[in-house]
Amino acid sequence: MHERLSFYVKRDSPLHHLNPLTKLTLVFGLVLISFLGPWYWTPHILFLIVVLPLSFIGRVNREFFRALLRLILPAAGFLFLMQAFFQPIGDQVIFKIWFLDITQESLLFAFRNAMRIVMMVSSFTLFLLTTHPSELMSDLTRRGLPGQFAYVIISTLQILPQMQAKAQTIIAAQRSRGLDTQSSFLRRVGSLGPLVGPLVFGSLVEVEERAIAIEARGFTSTHTKTSLYDIPDTNLDRTIRWFLIMLVILTIVLRLWLL
Amino acid sequence: MAIVNLQDVTYKYPLTDTPALQNINLQVNEGEFLAIIGPNGAGKSTLCYTLAGFVPHFFKGELSGLVEVLGKESLDSTLSEWVLNVGLAFQNPFNQISGAKYTVFEELAFGLENIGIPREEMKVRVEDAMQLTGISDLAERSPYSLSGGQQQRVALTSILVMQPKVLVLDEPTSQMDPIGTREVFAVIRRMAESGMTVILVEHKVEWIAQFADRVIALKDGQLLLDGTPSEVLTSPILQENGFGISRYTSVARKAKEMGLWKRNELPVTLDEAAEGFAADNHI
Repeated sequence: MHERLSFYVKRDSPLHHLNPLTKLTLVFGLVLISFLGPWYWTPHILFLIVVLPLSFIGRVNREFFRALLRLILPAAGFLFLMQAFFQPIGDQVIFKIWFLDITQESLLFAFRNAMRIVMMVSSFTLFLLTTHPSELMSDLTRRGLPGQFAYVIISTLQILPQMQAKAQTIIAAQRSRGLDTQSSFLRRVGSLGPLVGPLVFGSLVEVEERAIAIEARGFTSTHTKTSLYDIPDTNLDRTIRWFLIMLVILTIVLRLWLL
Repeated sequence: MAIVNLQDVTYKYPLTDTPALQNINLQVNEGEFLAIIGPNGAGKSTLCYTLAGFVPHFFKGELSGLVEVLGKESLDSTLSEWVLNVGLAFQNPFNQISGAKYTVFEELAFGLENIGIPREEMKVRVEDAMQLTGISDLAERSPYSLSGGQQQRVALTSILVMQPKVLVLDEPTSQMDPIGTREVFAVIRRMAESGMTVILVEHKVEWIAQFADRVIALKDGQLLLDGTPSEVLTSPILQENGFGISRYTSVARKAKEMGLWKRNELPVTLDEAAEGFAADNHI
């Protein structure tokens, strides 16, 4: 009941102290470069020399490796197998089962794509581990993101676990009245109605009340919003952001030029 | 001086034919503690929404008559200006938590961030309000990890930090257990003592009798009674109209029929009843 949908780990590290926008730029920069980079090994090298060291600099290496092993690598591994088997390119067959075959080309193709996915998900994971969601949103709001938009994102993160808990209560209530939730697939689909109905209608009523509650606290006030926390944006932050933007532009230029 | 002034207020929700409020005339003085009682569907919540500006600004519908707070008219004002003068808290504490904040302290600052209060003043206001409502020890907790009574005190504090002149509370204890009710009433009492004008909808008449300066009874959107707690809460009209009344009043009324209660006025609270019985029977 008390858990919330946030990966944030509170630590004291250089990565934690960076401005959220800088970290967001870093994530998008890394993803763009690993997808657009003109050389085959770009995503692999970026992962080894940027993302991995950053997880140590951010002092979240334990949490990062746990996410990597449990979530990122299995997903990327699955993608790798699918693409290696089903990508109909190349003719140098290395391995063959039944009608499926792996060629050298499809293997390389799959390896790069899997690595791009690893880069994308792992740099986002690193970002989520070191950035508090409300810090990110108040920084973005200060830079002109509409308050309503920030509110929707943040409150969803908090309210989803609450809705999960409520769904559990409804399931327990309906089962105690004889609703079948454990037999055949079809019957379980049939019993979704009595579960989803109360959850959805209950949530709609709640939304109105919550709208009133935040309105009573000046949510749509025309005053310029202030923030409880001061989120520093240093010269270092600005330098890193410009550097990253230049790097992305350079990658795009190289890509166009080399192709 | 009347801080709240309703004259001949009639209101219909959109897509309904019967008015939820009919010809309401009500003046509330500054610093007064007014309690509102009434059966379900009497228009208590609608009256709260009207006072807090949500009728008609949020719910739309047809409003006629005059709604004035601090000499300003509701229809001439926007909702976000109005809430600076009139604060609203209601039943379900869970739905009053913004969901956008991770600690109680941040939650309390949410309203102040919205209305652009500078950071230093914000911290002072939040700390003062937490002191007043006795929740300073909850500052670093997640609002979702609190008990119902604690959440409701956080909800009240989150309105209190906005420093409204008038506080409208719509059944703030209806989902509380006895302990939660006592905690919340302690907070309401402190708010009233700090000079705020408090308008409270409440079913628990024994609590009203202890706190309120004045009570009004609503039925079918109309004002039925208006007077001091002991006048209104012991009036025979209440029982005839299906209002909940204090068990001590019922007992004393029965006792009076049997000749055991000698006084004219009936009690509302346990203490009044005990005192009356003791005096009359020379215990």
